Amino acid sequence: MKGSTQVIGVELKLIMRDPMSAFFALAFPVIMLWVKLRSGNKPLPGGVLAIDATVPMLTAFVIGLAALVVLPATLAHYRDRRVLKRLRVTPASPVMLFGAQWAAHMLLAVLGSVLVILIGLVAYGLRGPASVPVVLLAWLLGALSLGSIGLLLGAIAPSGRAATVIGLGVFFPMVFLSGAVIPRESMSGSMRAIGDLTPMAPVVQAIRDGWSAGTTSPLTLGIMVAISVIAGSIALRAFRW
Amino acid sequence: MTDIIEINNLSKSYGGPRFSGPPQVADGVRTYGGPGSSGPQEADGVRTSGVGKAVDGVSLRVARGEIFGIAGPNGAGKTTLVECMSGLRRPDGGTLRVLGLDPQNDRRELLQRIGAQLQEAALPDAIKVGEALRMYASFYDKPADWRALMSEWGLADRKGERFANLSGGWKQRLFIALALVGNPEVVFLDELTTGLDPAARRTTWGQIREMRDRGVTVVLVTHFMDEAEALCDRLAVICRGRVVAEGSPRELIAQAGSDSLENAYFALTEGELA
Repeated sequence: MKGSTQVIGVELKLIMRDPMSAFFALAFPVIMLWVKLRSGNKPLPGGVLAIDATVPMLTAFVIGLAALVVLPATLAHYRDRRVLKRLRVTPASPVMLFGAQWAAHMLLAVLGSVLVILIGLVAYGLRGPASVPVVLLAWLLGALSLGSIGLLLGAIAPSGRAATVIGLGVFFPMVFLSGAVIPRESMSGSMRAIGDLTPMAPVVQAIRDGWSAGTTSPLTLGIMVAISVIAGSIALRAFRW
Repeated sequence: MTDIIEINNLSKSYGGPRFSGPPQVADGVRTYGGPGSSGPQEADGVRTSGVGKAVDGVSLRVARGEIFGIAGPNGAGKTTLVECMSGLRRPDGGTLRVLGLDPQNDRRELLQRIGAQLQEAALPDAIKVGEALRMYASFYDKPADWRALMSEWGLADRKGERFANLSGGWKQRLFIALALVGNPEVVFLDELTTGLDPAARRTTWGQIREMRDRGVTVVLVTHFMDEAEALCDRLAVICRGRVVAEGSPRELIAQAGSDSLENAYFALTEGELA
């Protein structure tokens, strides 16, 4: 769509110029990787090596961070500052602007994911994914589903500051319960049951499945598609300039 | 000259209780009523009487190639009127044509052919001058050459500067360039010079005249009468949503028997403001 590549390019630059977003999406996952692997690359219950579980988990973590924390804050901040109001008197359509914001934030998540994968490969002997296409599909559906929720939060948040608080409030419990930080194998049954109810659980599940087994269940993928459609259409309706 | 904006008996009301008190302020952001409400930004608690009509039976014509001023006190309905013209608000009654188009139904086409800098609208802090111009140019079917525009408006030396680091005068200059980047036929400027120091205001006046001299019609919302007198070919004085006077600054001064537009303005709005 007209102008979308321009908006995506500029937005990605703007995100990278914000030290907080750049730190959270790029440096924070690397620090997490180091912390998790500090005590050695031991096998988890079930036999998967820690690194082969942790890197896929952290890619889901990065998607969640970009989609649920950075994206809603950007949108709500733009509304506060009347950046959206200025755009409203141009031919740029809200769908294009929404899509471009999503794409720019997901490119940030791509950078963060690539960084942890490279460090995993080089420094920790990470095994490559069993199926690249399945991992990519899982990653993309994860970006769509969590991104739609992020757009929705950005549409309804009353202010930029509120969006940051809401985003962090949604993100942190979700990453801890869904297995994006603590491997699901090491979690108690009740924690796992609660975590499975969060929209991040299928993202973690599908990326890890694709990484280690090369396949994932259609149900897991279907849940992400459903979340994308529902949250995305509510977000478009709720959008305010 | 042909009329490119025709407004007949236009009205826009906001209905009832929203006007009875000050707006809700949450986290520094004003909201009027619930989501989807569209209260005017400039009516904060000013309008306490009447039936909540922000625009009440306005008729006016803007001719191609002129600088047309819309002047009046805070809460008079100036911004609402301009927002109706640029398709942001749906009027309740009357007819409205801009470039022969209905701003609501033909909004997509209209937005390709107008430029606007609305009140307090801004850019992201970290965006650079060149990036903003290039990105805005990409929204239009037939944009101006943004690099040429950047040079013409003296912004080339500041291409790499971030919006947040520009002074007020340079920000306005960028806003003007952005309003022109789509090669518009009409440009709406809402309180463009508010908050500028006197020198920067004078410079901005020169730029607005330059816009007109290039053939762009300018609709200028202002509450500075010296500005209206210096710039406008014609203007409408609006008070409580109604046009109380319309004509060239000279005509309005003569009509009120005053020596300046400012005094004419007070004479014309005297009864209304009491």
